[in-house]
Amino acid sequence: MKNGLTLFLGAFVTLALSWGGLLLTAQRQIGSLSQFKDAADEQLYPQPLSGLADQGRLVYQDLGCVTCHTQQVRHEGFGSDLARKWGERGSYARDYIRDQSVLLGQNRLGPDLRNVGSRLGDAKPAEYAEWFYRLLYAPQSVAKGTNMPAHPFLFDVHPVAGRQPSAHALALPSKFAPGPGLEVVPTSRAVALVAYLQSLKDTYDYPIERSRNTPAPKKGGH
Amino acid sequence: MNPSAPNARTEQIEIDASARWPVLAFFGSALLWLLLGGVMQLAAAMQLHLPDFLADCAWFTHGRLAPAAQNALVYGWGMNAAFAFGLWLMARLSATTLRHGGWLFVAAKFWNLGVTLGVGGILAGWSTSFELLEMPRFVGLLLLAAYAMIGVWAVTTFSIRNTENVFASQWYLFGAAFWFPWLYAVAQVMLVRTPVRGVIQPVVNAWYVHGLYALWFVPVALAAAYYFIPKILGKPVSNYYLASLGFWWLAVSSAFAGGSRLIGAPVPVWIPTLGIVANMLVVVGVVIVALNLLGTLSGRYAAARASLTLRFILLSVAGFLLAAVMNLALSMRGFAAIVQFTLLDGLRDWLTFYVCFSTAMFGAAYFMLPRLTGREWRFAGLIKLHFGATALGVVLMIVGLAAAGWTQGRLLNDAAVPFADITKALSFWFAYRTVALAVLLLGHLAFLINFVGMACPFNSHGNAPATFRTPPELGLVKGEGHA
Repeated sequence: MKNGLTLFLGAFVTLALSWGGLLLTAQRQIGSLSQFKDAADEQLYPQPLSGLADQGRLVYQDLGCVTCHTQQVRHEGFGSDLARKWGERGSYARDYIRDQSVLLGQNRLGPDLRNVGSRLGDAKPAEYAEWFYRLLYAPQSVAKGTNMPAHPFLFDVHPVAGRQPSAHALALPSKFAPGPGLEVVPTSRAVALVAYLQSLKDTYDYPIERSRNTPAPKKGGH
Repeated sequence: MNPSAPNARTEQIEIDASARWPVLAFFGSALLWLLLGGVMQLAAAMQLHLPDFLADCAWFTHGRLAPAAQNALVYGWGMNAAFAFGLWLMARLSATTLRHGGWLFVAAKFWNLGVTLGVGGILAGWSTSFELLEMPRFVGLLLLAAYAMIGVWAVTTFSIRNTENVFASQWYLFGAAFWFPWLYAVAQVMLVRTPVRGVIQPVVNAWYVHGLYALWFVPVALAAAYYFIPKILGKPVSNYYLASLGFWWLAVSSAFAGGSRLIGAPVPVWIPTLGIVANMLVVVGVVIVALNLLGTLSGRYAAARASLTLRFILLSVAGFLLAAVMNLALSMRGFAAIVQFTLLDGLRDWLTFYVCFSTAMFGAAYFMLPRLTGREWRFAGLIKLHFGATALGVVLMIVGLAAAGWTQGRLLNDAAVPFADITKALSFWFAYRTVALAVLLLGHLAFLINFVGMACPFNSHGNAPATFRTPPELGLVKGEGHA
């Protein structure tokens, strides 16, 4: 190879092919997925994030939660995500069209969070939020044995003396409380982040996606 | 060797002199980032087994520190080192001086300003959370502008070459110089400026990450291997007629392999499948490169081991082969189902970036810097320490991450094991990884001290040759023939 032009054109075509073949084709195929209207309740799914939850998404991004947490439930037959109760079903591409930034994640040093908003089952939203606050302030107080770092900078710790106690103060076991006469109150960033985490639940199962995402039958079956 | 050897030698001295300051500027910054990134990486690794470490400060929470470290290493160390080595080698192989190097100096300043703002931005909380694109959005343009100056220099140097033939290293350098800005610009536009919708984002991200490793760092490492192995051994590349096929094969197939990072992800299944097929095709290119490089080495391992540069290059070639094996293994669905999202998954990129690329740059530096500064290395002990620590650290990391990742994957796949038990089972391996990273960091520190000792103008000349046993024909004073 002596010709610089051949080299240039070859290098150009190589990446152009991969860009067109992979990214543009994918964009054509699923770049304009729309919400699905359920015939029974006339609702559009996936439902958009609330404003507060979307702010929380920014907190999630800036704290780098994606470093240790994924947000994708793998389908039946590939890993044990469903057996771990990380979701009622595998994730669909359509689930993500409501997210401004899609952070599937690369690492599971912590559990998957795609459906963390429904993990406590029937708990009331307020109780649930309290659980998340405690997890963020003192992870060991709700998840014993975890190596998740505490996020004390998402909370204000101030003395109770001389003022009315905050209605939002955390009820922490004494072992994790900052000390007598002090209360721990979530900052607005913590409130937004928890609203975001609580919004993470793909509970609606799209009839049109279910058939598309079922794995092909194994050999020998009919 | 070459009939006009004395002339060629003069030319080479001129080329080296013209490249001296730009290369030293890039390489000096690269080493500072290597150390800084290494310290941050070590701290982030410690946080996994000591969760309270630096947890009180938002700037150093694990989710910020770990990507900041990765970005400092990739864009600070990796890119700067690749610029230093690539510009020098391009000038040498094109037999032309590196002209108007002052502008490269300016570009180096801007590039490093961009990386500093980017790493600081991640720590301060402006991370985008897209892998290797975490730097805040305003940094992207700055980096691209700085890169434009550097890339144009490489391409211009190539186009005013004074040689008949274009050597394999030049293809790889030229390709890389061209591919990086395109990958980076596309990723910036499609993810940060005007984000695409839904799961196209992870597809773009995977395409970028895979491209950055396979079409930038690997080509630069291969350029080093194709240059140093025949040069130091004094024999031509064996089966050289295959080299161009290998180059195009690797380029085309690995450009499509990015989708293999999305096996099992909620994307149309053809995307990972295409990536898997591409990863299998990559093997052909890898075999050709191995035929070239290992063929040249065969029967000359004793000579190769005598040269410090070639010892590092050997590590790099081993890293290249292992990374290909890892890519292939992770493309197997059964294997991926177990080790996906574990420490073993992370080993793939570490093999490419550290074992394949970084060691090649170490080897290149031990050859290039004495010739650029006209001095020998100062401390022979530190050279040995650097090589020893790198070799030991690499073995520790590979063994450790493989064992840890396998354990982690098996436990993750057993739904009966509570998550806390997985963390407990891994705590030993987290500590182990900290030790392995510390060993590597020690080597880097030794390297930096030696670099300062050599580059610092207020120093007496050193006398430590970059060889373990000096073969007589390899001394610095003797001619090396044509570039």
